[in-house]
Amino acid sequence: MADENENEKMDNENQKPEKMFTLKKWNAVAMWSWDVECDTCAICRVQVMDACLRCQAESKKDSYGKQDCVVVWGECNHSFHYCCMSLWVKQNNRCPLCQQEWSIQRMGK
Amino acid sequence: MEQTNPKANFSNFPINGVSRNHVVTIMPVPAKKLVIKNLKSTPELPEDYMNQTWKKLKGAVVAIQQSKANQYSLEELYQAVENMCNHKMASLLYKKLQSLIEVHVSRNIEQFVAESMDRYLFLKKMNETWQAHCQQMIMIRSIFLYLDRTYILQNHISSIWDMGLELFGKYILLNTLVQTRVVEGLLMLIEKERQGDQVDRSLLKSLLRMLTDLSIYNVSFEQKFIQATERLYAAEGQCLMQELEVPDYLVHVDKRLAEENERVLHYLDSATKYQLIHTVEKQLLREHVSQILQKGLDQLLTEYRLTDLGLLYDLLSRVKNGIVELCSAFNAFIKKRGKTIVINPEKDKSMVQELLDFKDDMDTVVTKCFHKHERFTNSLKEAFENFINQRTNKPAELIAKFIDSKLRAGNKEATEEELERLLDKIMVLFRFIHGKDVFEAFYKKDLAKRLLVGKSASVDAEKSMLSKLKQECGGGFTSKLEGMFKDMELSKDIIQAFKLVHTSNKKLSQIDMTVSILTMGYWPSYQHMEVSLPEYMVKLQDVFKEFYLNKHSGRKLQWQPTLGHCVLKARFNSGPKELVVSLFQSLVLLLFNDCDELSLEDIKVATNIEDGELRRTLQSLACGKARVLLKTPKGREVQDEDHFKFNAEFVNKLFRIKINQIQMKETTEEQKATEERVFQDRQYQIDAAIVRIMKMRKSLTHNLLISELYLQLKFPVKPADLKKRIESLIDRDYMERDKENSTQYNYVA
Repeated sequence: MADENENEKMDNENQKPEKMFTLKKWNAVAMWSWDVECDTCAICRVQVMDACLRCQAESKKDSYGKQDCVVVWGECNHSFHYCCMSLWVKQNNRCPLCQQEWSIQRMGK
Repeated sequence: MEQTNPKANFSNFPINGVSRNHVVTIMPVPAKKLVIKNLKSTPELPEDYMNQTWKKLKGAVVAIQQSKANQYSLEELYQAVENMCNHKMASLLYKKLQSLIEVHVSRNIEQFVAESMDRYLFLKKMNETWQAHCQQMIMIRSIFLYLDRTYILQNHISSIWDMGLELFGKYILLNTLVQTRVVEGLLMLIEKERQGDQVDRSLLKSLLRMLTDLSIYNVSFEQKFIQATERLYAAEGQCLMQELEVPDYLVHVDKRLAEENERVLHYLDSATKYQLIHTVEKQLLREHVSQILQKGLDQLLTEYRLTDLGLLYDLLSRVKNGIVELCSAFNAFIKKRGKTIVINPEKDKSMVQELLDFKDDMDTVVTKCFHKHERFTNSLKEAFENFINQRTNKPAELIAKFIDSKLRAGNKEATEEELERLLDKIMVLFRFIHGKDVFEAFYKKDLAKRLLVGKSASVDAEKSMLSKLKQECGGGFTSKLEGMFKDMELSKDIIQAFKLVHTSNKKLSQIDMTVSILTMGYWPSYQHMEVSLPEYMVKLQDVFKEFYLNKHSGRKLQWQPTLGHCVLKARFNSGPKELVVSLFQSLVLLLFNDCDELSLEDIKVATNIEDGELRRTLQSLACGKARVLLKTPKGREVQDEDHFKFNAEFVNKLFRIKINQIQMKETTEEQKATEERVFQDRQYQIDAAIVRIMKMRKSLTHNLLISELYLQLKFPVKPADLKKRIESLIDRDYMERDKENSTQYNYVA
């Protein structure tokens, strides 16, 4: 993963002999999730991190189905599965949680 | 060049050297006439021709019967017979011959009726008489051949040979006394041979042929023989079942069957074979099938005696229901034995290996000994599936862990092909397991560890395992696992892009940072901990975070300090070293750059690491194998008042030293948490399955829906749980109860 030679060169340039320990390499781990207030989609009652119930049921061949089942935020800052919301707005163009007129603020990427 | 045709040369020659025209000219037809006159008188036979001739013939027959030299030549006698036949004396001749033979045969009977003699001698004598009779009849027939071919053939009466047999039968063997003596003698001889004695097989063969020729084999001998066989083997079977071990008994039975077959080959009539073998099988095997299996099968299987098992199969396949009973006993053995492997918590460590070995052994038994009989392969599967699920969840967990141990780096015991084969075998076990999701949960936990620490032995092996799981359980099962691999690849790309942008920043590039970005939901959930990092590390994190969130909108990142690990350069008095440590370990060690000695409390305040975790971390640094810190007072456990110091005198022959973190024992609570998680996941799966089915069927009755669900779900569920999920889906308007029929559901699109 790391380019060792380059690192050693750097280290030599920055030697601070008085230090007993120097951090040479750091493998950090982070977990990403959608930045949402409520982690369940109010429409399908499935966690927004998972694909929505309909997408799961279709058990897509593409195993990384999540890319298709992204999250959408409305102006009201409520978030849902994009799939769920696009079905919802066909019937009722309001946010199911706050009844405000629905307009997309941003989409997950 | 002149080409000569060889045919042309010869064509000039007359055939046979004589030309027909020539003959005519050399031999002119003579003028003499040949006149044929009638005979003056018809030839007469001498008056006593018949008597004379018969006398001649009788003399010859008697001579044959007494094995004396014949005074007339055979030619002469044959002529005599022909003459007599031609002069209408055939019927007379036949009658005379018949009575002549009858007298001789009836005279022979006396010796067999008279005194009682040794049975063997009796048989010998009988055989001699029979052989002599046959011999005589052959000679007599050759003299009277003309009679046989004309008079007898035209009048459909018994040929001379048959007449001889009839007479022999009538006088000697239809005499009950003689007949019983013969039959009993024969049975005695056979019994003797069965007891292992050498007997005169040609004598037996000859006498039995005699019975066949006289067509009394069936009536007088066969029945009694079969009865005797039955009696003998019934007793032998009873007795030897008690005396012998099963394998020895089987060998004995096999020997007996071979012997009886040989007997048929050597002297019995081939028609007896079926009945005889059937009797032996019945008495030695069928009567004892359950006892043989009960007494011997377990032992044979446990001791893995392939030859004996093969023999057992071969023998039992001869008798009705033998295979069925063998199969059910085999099944019971696997279940019993398997249960002992699975059920005992003390044997958990070796369970999977034992299961693999056991499966291997049983497979070999089925292939080598049971001829891959379908009934056995199916039964084997059924039995494994049965016992492996006797203990819920644990086998699934252990199989997952076993795979982990094989896929982890440092497992150099196997080549790639061997590993591949091993994985295939494990998949067979996996197939039997009902709670596949339990397996997934544990497999995922281990896979995460392998991926994050870069400990996976081979990407190929990982991928191959994944594709096996996918093949077995479908894409839904592996989508999250595949997502984990994808995450690792994406992380690599992101860190590359990150480094490209930030190489110019010297401060940042001092530390070689990589970040694994995990998609929440794909990975196991980890306990979140806030710790205090040194300022420059926080800075580094923040720069990265900003970079990442710029690329991916709508996301948030949460750092997982528990999973981080580092390489530290350390300067000991003995020289520089590199330490491979966890993030927590590095945080603690880095503190000693500024202070020489720190108390537990100091470290806790500075790092903000949770107490239990911190104590374990310090223990690994000061009480483990590589003690880079010194603890006062000394001791194995970290106490509240302990102080820690940098160990400048640390020595180790390696340059790069890995300091293992002390693993918290998996508590029952954690175990429960994993199970709880599995249960949660199951609910989603049930929901998804219900929706899937309802979407396809549009409307279904409750019972049909439930039965379809059972087909689809890969884990055990109670009907009540399914009902709850259906209720919940109705509440959420995924489906509705039919208005007219309350047991029917309709899908709501």
